[in-house]
Amino acid sequence: MLYEQPIHRPLGDLYMCVEFGDELAIEQNFLVIALDMALREAAVTGVHETIPTHRSLGVVYDPAVLPFDRLSAVLRGLEPRATHLREIPSRLVSIPVWYDDPWSRECAAAHGLDSNLAYLAELNGLTLEEAIAWHTGTLHWVAAVGFQPATFQAVPLDRSKALTAPKYKSPRTWTPDRTLCIAGQITSFYPVESPGGYQLLGRLPANLYDPEQRNPDFADGPVLPRVGDRHRYVSIGEEEYERIRVAVEAGTYAFEIEPGTFALDDSLAVPS
Amino acid sequence: MTATIDVLQPGLQTTVQDLGRPGLLAAGMAPSGAFDALALQQANLLVGNDVGDWFLVGEDPGAAGLEVLLLGPELRFAEPTIIAVTGADLAPTLDGEPLPLYVAALAEAGSVLAFAVSRAGARAYIAFAGGIEVEPVFGSRATNVRARIGGFGGRKLQTGDTLELGAPTRPPDALTGRSIRDAFRPRLEPDWEIRVVLGPQHELFEPESVETFLSERWRLKPASDRMGCRFDGPPLAFRPRAAALEEQAGGDPSNIVDDTIPVGGIQVPSGLEAIAMGVDGPSLGGYAKIGTVISCDLGRLAQIRPGEHALFRAVTVEEATTARQQYARGRSAEALAEAQ
Repeated sequence: MLYEQPIHRPLGDLYMCVEFGDELAIEQNFLVIALDMALREAAVTGVHETIPTHRSLGVVYDPAVLPFDRLSAVLRGLEPRATHLREIPSRLVSIPVWYDDPWSRECAAAHGLDSNLAYLAELNGLTLEEAIAWHTGTLHWVAAVGFQPATFQAVPLDRSKALTAPKYKSPRTWTPDRTLCIAGQITSFYPVESPGGYQLLGRLPANLYDPEQRNPDFADGPVLPRVGDRHRYVSIGEEEYERIRVAVEAGTYAFEIEPGTFALDDSLAVPS
Repeated sequence: MTATIDVLQPGLQTTVQDLGRPGLLAAGMAPSGAFDALALQQANLLVGNDVGDWFLVGEDPGAAGLEVLLLGPELRFAEPTIIAVTGADLAPTLDGEPLPLYVAALAEAGSVLAFAVSRAGARAYIAFAGGIEVEPVFGSRATNVRARIGGFGGRKLQTGDTLELGAPTRPPDALTGRSIRDAFRPRLEPDWEIRVVLGPQHELFEPESVETFLSERWRLKPASDRMGCRFDGPPLAFRPRAAALEEQAGGDPSNIVDDTIPVGGIQVPSGLEAIAMGVDGPSLGGYAKIGTVISCDLGRLAQIRPGEHALFRAVTVEEATTARQQYARGRSAEALAEAQ
């Protein structure tokens, strides 16, 4: 449900949550991003940083400079601007993926399945090849970034190609790093080896988290994904995977990134 | 000449920390920094270092010291160095002699700082006059082990590491013997009262369960760390949900469509355990949060030992803001007693 007016909830004394609704919807995510842009532009003294998510904007503020009620009033003044924004800047980032790669299969086998992708294909009534074709056949919208560095949550823009997957009932004890995964209709990512409950799709030759900032795309920061990016997943095989690994290790790998904009009306025009 | 410190034994988990690295939450990077920020600030105050200003909403992370968990390290000083130990009482010794907490002391060249036994509290802080000189990463020297950045190589200390110190602000004679006044030293006494602001999702719980959360004692589990403090307590129940949420957020009644997790946010997965997020915690998550620990009480959260209990008490945002004024006095000159 999209609320008539966003709810301003305190998260302790240093954060406010501006909650637009409680469900997953791209219109709602657009409002979050638009308010985030308006708040940045307003450069409000006392606001330190923001955390856009699917349905809410987290705002970190200093209550000694800007008490909760005054922050709330500032945001109420900006909220109408957010509702009018129909188009936002959006990069199109191509991400090579080795689907159903040996490491994902090894991890799946260690946790009771031969292949997460084969399992996922069957659940969706598809062959493994069709499942890959669906996942690469639609752009994905990055609606939230967080949990771990560079972990993102992306939803398919063409909902006719939306795969759905259950989470593991009991989370895996480990997952290989650089692994793309899915649960519900949300595609996500494990930047570093960690426990997890999402189904594994495949492995990236180039990490989206580069703490040493060796590769050129990481000059501004160690995390590539941003809320409002569109992802194009590209299926690659072993040979291409190894070629990219060499470039990454040499610090010369660059992702294909096209600047651009994205209009809400385009997304709503996509058949569901 | 740069003073150095050799790590003879690393202890359980010893990391370089300052007040942390805010500004990267939207990228999924935790702020990190001292879990008990006041203890580090008081240690820095004693040895004449920059104490910094605030966790998460500050401009100055202050000087870097060491955060020590339960079992302390063994450190040898290459040069005469002024040090102070604060926070948990892990029975520090200097060349075998007991070293009082909350007092600036001179460690002679070749002397060894060790920790005998864990008495009270969970995390001790060691400040060194001049501060630990590691390269700041995005404005901070704090270690984020999970993201592998900051501090000493993005990791906890190991045997054989050598730490370099900056130049002290004052000569040793001007610092030795300074102490933190009793009134400004924390009490390390369980049960630990932890103040919370209810929400953002306390309304998803049955009202009786919110009462239970605020009235029962919550026991800290051993599987707790800087990411999250996990507590055992009575099961909490959730109110019925709209069908759409079951599909979109997940089948468990504690699932929500992911939103911001603040540092101090208390998730209750399946209603079966309460996890209060620490300074290395996640920025985004899909479980209902019943409350959020106020910023001034994060340090108390950091000092609870496994098996000890927390009592959560609800306060307003205004009360939490007032508590910050008392906190600020604790790291100011008012808290400092010069040597007699």
